[in-house]
Amino acid sequence: MLLVVGPSGSGKSTFARAIAGLVPRDVPGEWRGSLRVGDLETSTALPADVAARVGILFQDPGSQLVMERAEDDVAFGLENRAWPLPAMRARVPESLAAVGLAGLERQRGSRLSGGQQQRLALAGVEAPRPSVLVLDEPTANLDPGGARTLFDRLARIRADRRATIVLVEHRADLAWPLADLVLALDGGGAPLDIGTPAEILAQSGERLAAAGIWLPSDLVGEAVPRARVAPHAPVGPPNDDALITDHLRFEYEPGRPVVRDVDLRIAPGERVALVGPNGSGKSTLLRLVAGLLRPRFGSVSLAGRDPARVKPARLAMLAGYVFQDPELGFLADTVSEEVRLGLDAAAAVRAIELMDRLGMPLQRFGSRSPYQLSGGEQRRLSVVTALARAPRLLVLDEPTFGQDRNGWEALAGIIEELVEDGTAVLVATHDERFARRVARRRVEMADGWIVADDGPGGRSAGPFATRRGVRTAAPAPELAPTPGQA
Amino acid sequence: MLIPPDIGAGQEASVLGRTSPLVKLGLALAWLIGLATTLHVLPPVLLAIAALVAGLSLGQVPPRSLGGALAPLVVAAASIAIANLLFSGSNTDPTATQLARLGPFRITREAADVALALGARVLAIVSVGVVFAQTTDPTRLVDALVQQARLPARFAYGALAAYQAVPRLGEDLTTLRQARRIRGLGGAWHPRLLVGLLVRAIRHADQLALAMDARAFDSGPRSTYRPITWGWRDVAIGLGGLALLVAALSR
Repeated sequence: MLLVVGPSGSGKSTFARAIAGLVPRDVPGEWRGSLRVGDLETSTALPADVAARVGILFQDPGSQLVMERAEDDVAFGLENRAWPLPAMRARVPESLAAVGLAGLERQRGSRLSGGQQQRLALAGVEAPRPSVLVLDEPTANLDPGGARTLFDRLARIRADRRATIVLVEHRADLAWPLADLVLALDGGGAPLDIGTPAEILAQSGERLAAAGIWLPSDLVGEAVPRARVAPHAPVGPPNDDALITDHLRFEYEPGRPVVRDVDLRIAPGERVALVGPNGSGKSTLLRLVAGLLRPRFGSVSLAGRDPARVKPARLAMLAGYVFQDPELGFLADTVSEEVRLGLDAAAAVRAIELMDRLGMPLQRFGSRSPYQLSGGEQRRLSVVTALARAPRLLVLDEPTFGQDRNGWEALAGIIEELVEDGTAVLVATHDERFARRVARRRVEMADGWIVADDGPGGRSAGPFATRRGVRTAAPAPELAPTPGQA
Repeated sequence: MLIPPDIGAGQEASVLGRTSPLVKLGLALAWLIGLATTLHVLPPVLLAIAALVAGLSLGQVPPRSLGGALAPLVVAAASIAIANLLFSGSNTDPTATQLARLGPFRITREAADVALALGARVLAIVSVGVVFAQTTDPTRLVDALVQQARLPARFAYGALAAYQAVPRLGEDLTTLRQARRIRGLGGAWHPRLLVGLLVRAIRHADQLALAMDARAFDSGPRSTYRPITWGWRDVAIGLGGLALLVAALSR
């Protein structure tokens, strides 16, 4: 197994796609050099010949499922290679069982969790028995539990030695122990080093870290410093809290609540990490407290106002929101317009300063389209637009997805230094390391309930809520342990 | 309407569910053409009832799903009829028989006849469409189009995959609208949303095309995992449907 590592924009994905023959065939650009799979030159070979040997798994679980039902999707790749029907009937259930999806043959892909979707996609890629399996950041959208299940399957494929695995992955703690060889790329896409994991760590560990590459030691051993922010001291009456929710409940479909009876109080300036597996209701809770959804039952009070009922102009002063996919938050044609959008002169000056501090000066970035920025740049722009008005509450939904070490540090730095003292921060994240770095308080959700909250004593969980928490904690799914323990 | 209805296992295993979608499609088309030849009220009403009864019995469609899908369309049919009743040209014709007078509106017998016939026809079309949608799995429709109607697989399965992505675009639109609100901008239906949606659609399409290509889509001869063959059911449903059409038109 070859592990490919590199900072954002180092061409890891392009390399992965070139192995699958998708670059340069499907992606325009200039191609030089040679890439061979067996005796096949992927840039000139027939697509069918490359596809017969190479399978590739992409990052986004949802967008690579082609057919509606699980078994049809696994069969899709086999049909395209003209497998005879009896062979398909034998292979499809076998592939599904191998990734732990036995019994879900007729399930619709859209009804599966993110982790299940990604394993379904893996089953579809594996089913035709490719000799090379390419995985392009397969766990970027998964929670720690989902990532570990996927890696269990990878470990078994590797042990069988039937396929060569090429893995592009940020999650160093899971990926490095499996790798036979590591290829490190620098920011410009040139190889920094290649060798066994032990060699690479010994020879060029520091160079890799400096280039923004995660190393296994980042997550194991080294103690992550707790948030540097001063501990929040509960002052004044609770009515001064930035956020108060009371028996908050929400359901998208009648009878299937995704947020249940949430009582949460956050003081001005408090930094709170919201953790829990995919589908536990974190994103929905964030949208409720930011006034983007209206609760089915219960109430939200953001600085004394109901955020779902205030006018947009007022809401923007109360809350800033960094969406999981920053691209969905962009509203203008250029970065410069995006930054100034809806701001008065003073706030615009502040926003432009923030852009400078994040290494994206408007002189250089102002005329570009927000959609053309890299993922990390989009995230930073999104944070600036959320912070420009110094809102009472800053909400971030999985801000570290797919971020390399430098992007991660930049984000942590913003939250530590740039967020004004009075602004409360609520960040939903799977990244325990990030949670420990930026937050003083950790609130854990499972199945719509808050099941743990290490906030100041009874402030956020009265005796009634505590009892309920204990009762529901027992049947809740396995809670995500920290990467350090994994 | 853009979101594919979930077909339950019962509907899939029913007689109509196992009839070739092509037969149902052909029959729907025949009924449509047949209805265009008549201006009477009775034939479309009979056909609408026939379609709904067939859906409930032969199609095993749960009455709730049928009602849910039908309700908004029945409202549409009714509003077409009412608009025609009120604004028909014959209402201003002094020689036409006056039925009633509602404030500024004079309603004539001629206008009422046309409105009723139109409403009944829309009702029939809508009933046939809903029963078709409620007994036809989209995947099976495309399988039949490729295997029985020899439609090119590239086009058919490409369209099917794009169709599966529609709900994702709906979610994107929701988030885009929420993003406007949190940035202090009004206009839940601002035209600017289209730009964001277009970017997302292109991204999804790109990703899907890559995934399909990487899995050897359209790279040569293809086999099929869900073979569809003609059977007695197709003949029976096809002939029965045509007989109903003839019977209804001869009324």
